[in-house]
Amino acid sequence: MTARIGVDADVAWAAISDAEAIAEWFPNMAAAAVEGDVRTITLGSGLPITEDIVTNDADLRRFQYRITGPLPTEYHLATVDIFDLGPGDCLLVYSTEIVPEAMSYVLSGAIDAAVTNLKTRLEAGDRFGS
Amino acid sequence: MGRKILFITTDQMRYDALGCNGGTVARTPVVDGLAADGIRYQRAHPQNVVCMPSRATMITGQHVGTHGVWMNGVALPVDAPSVARVLHRAGYRTALVGKAHFEPFIDPFLRFPENVLGRDADPDGSHAPHEGEPHRGFDHLQLATHGTGLFTHYADWMGKHAPGHIADFYSVVEPASMEVSSVRGGDTDCVQVGINNMPRGVYHTDWCVDRAIDWLDTLDPADDWFCWVSFPDPHHPWDPPQSEMSRVRWRDLDLPEGYPADRSQREALLDAKAPHWRQWYDGALVSNYEAPRDWVPATLTDDQVREVNARVHVENELIDEGVGRLLAHIDGRGWGDDTDVLFTTDHGEFQGDHGLLFKGPYHVDSLMRLPLIWRPARSSGPVTGVSVAEPVGLVDLAPTFCAIAGVEVPEWMEGQSLPRDESEAAVQKRQRVLTEWDSVHPNRTKIGVRSIWRDGFLCTSYLAGTVHDGTEGELYDCAEDPLQRINLWDDPARRSIRDDLVADLWVSLPPMREPRPIVQAPV
Repeated sequence: MTARIGVDADVAWAAISDAEAIAEWFPNMAAAAVEGDVRTITLGSGLPITEDIVTNDADLRRFQYRITGPLPTEYHLATVDIFDLGPGDCLLVYSTEIVPEAMSYVLSGAIDAAVTNLKTRLEAGDRFGS
Repeated sequence: MGRKILFITTDQMRYDALGCNGGTVARTPVVDGLAADGIRYQRAHPQNVVCMPSRATMITGQHVGTHGVWMNGVALPVDAPSVARVLHRAGYRTALVGKAHFEPFIDPFLRFPENVLGRDADPDGSHAPHEGEPHRGFDHLQLATHGTGLFTHYADWMGKHAPGHIADFYSVVEPASMEVSSVRGGDTDCVQVGINNMPRGVYHTDWCVDRAIDWLDTLDPADDWFCWVSFPDPHHPWDPPQSEMSRVRWRDLDLPEGYPADRSQREALLDAKAPHWRQWYDGALVSNYEAPRDWVPATLTDDQVREVNARVHVENELIDEGVGRLLAHIDGRGWGDDTDVLFTTDHGEFQGDHGLLFKGPYHVDSLMRLPLIWRPARSSGPVTGVSVAEPVGLVDLAPTFCAIAGVEVPEWMEGQSLPRDESEAAVQKRQRVLTEWDSVHPNRTKIGVRSIWRDGFLCTSYLAGTVHDGTEGELYDCAEDPLQRINLWDDPARRSIRDDLVADLWVSLPPMREPRPIVQAPV
């Protein structure tokens, strides 16, 4: 999933890199809490998901996380990259590798909605993250 | 006071499931009686052979390309056209009891209203309106599907009334893999067969009838109403209450006519079709999510075919008895003469035909020829035992409901009101019915299928994808070859009719909407 967003790259990166801020812009996510390198998100259904934060690199503007439970993922790695395209212009790329394959549709639909929502709200002036 | 509408659907029921359509095992006297007092359609096709696209056609009255639900997992937008909304605005009381599936089932984020409504599970079926109107026009919803693993009113009800029996259900999807389960059971160690020890009274078939009766009892005698009772059966898994299994002993069953028991004959017949038939049979291809990924059809045994069929017959008998209970209740309320009853299903099931189970991108009668019966309200005039041979589709249901209610058929509906007899079918110039399939599996397998039934021929053209190059097809002369075993696609003598049917298909089929909506879940 990619989105060209009409804000500075640092603004988009602030939303992505603040791992707890995801609950503010990811639809149907009730809560997010971070302890060390572990993030626990709570989905709209009430299901808590634990994730390992693998990468949070401000120089690369790259954030990676891995779902560790309890969704039935044998392998998962999500990568969010922000590319600076100039003042007031950046590109967000949200990619996911996942096994089993059937889970890809569940996550991709939610991520598609989330990226669309993040773009809309950032361009409307909302700001997320510290 | 106008006519009431009882719309009954089953899930994955074959044409020959009913006695009135030639079925010889399941006893279906109630639905047979509707046919005897009404209209039986001999050639009714769905516009897609899996649940979500087909159900979207029922509620919108549109072909798949128009409503956009092009495969399971694509959500019908909440503000999509809905015949229930049309009826609601016309003053009808409206309810849907049972399986909706206009939105994906697998929804851990709880993104879809059906699942939110099911989770909140108000026991009286009420729910918050969407932009001032009830969800899709139904002012009462009691949702169900097989089992209790999803967000439905039935799951909530089971948790409160029969928690000890929740584990009796076979789980359609394996939680660990999110794939359709390959777990085997029953007497023949067959996939998607389970022993279910719950009492019949808490199984979803009777639950749907009970909840529909509950709602009907809230209505004023003068109300006009539209009640869609949507049974989850006889869709797999095949695990009806074990207490009912003595109705049909699988060991006593003959093999279905469509099942070629001789392996070499079976495989030769498959080889004459487009290549994905044999590839799936051999376990070399997984093209879609609707069948267990790890099940290889070539391993299917004669006894497994018998056991699956026996279980389906039992499920169909329970449905028929439930319909009888509903009709008796409606008569008891004094609505019997003013109620139109329509009975159909969303798509068919192989049940052993061609050596296969389940469904997929295979456009033959097993999956496409559906039971469809309309018993018009007796107050609307006499109709007795009419049989209509001209092709009709599920796309015609929504306009039929409008016609019954005396409401103008909206321009966005693409079907026509069902004909009440052959002469009306001729006036309507009914010649063809169209069915389409598209799928993109997470493993990247992409298949597109388009079919037309006309003049007794079934013609299927495959789109270029990962399996087909776009030149493949199937042509069956359904009068000469009712089991669709002889593929005439490459027969030079049939080239003219083939080309004419393909041209007609592409002229008649509405184009797929752009952009095509995204897939949001496997199912």
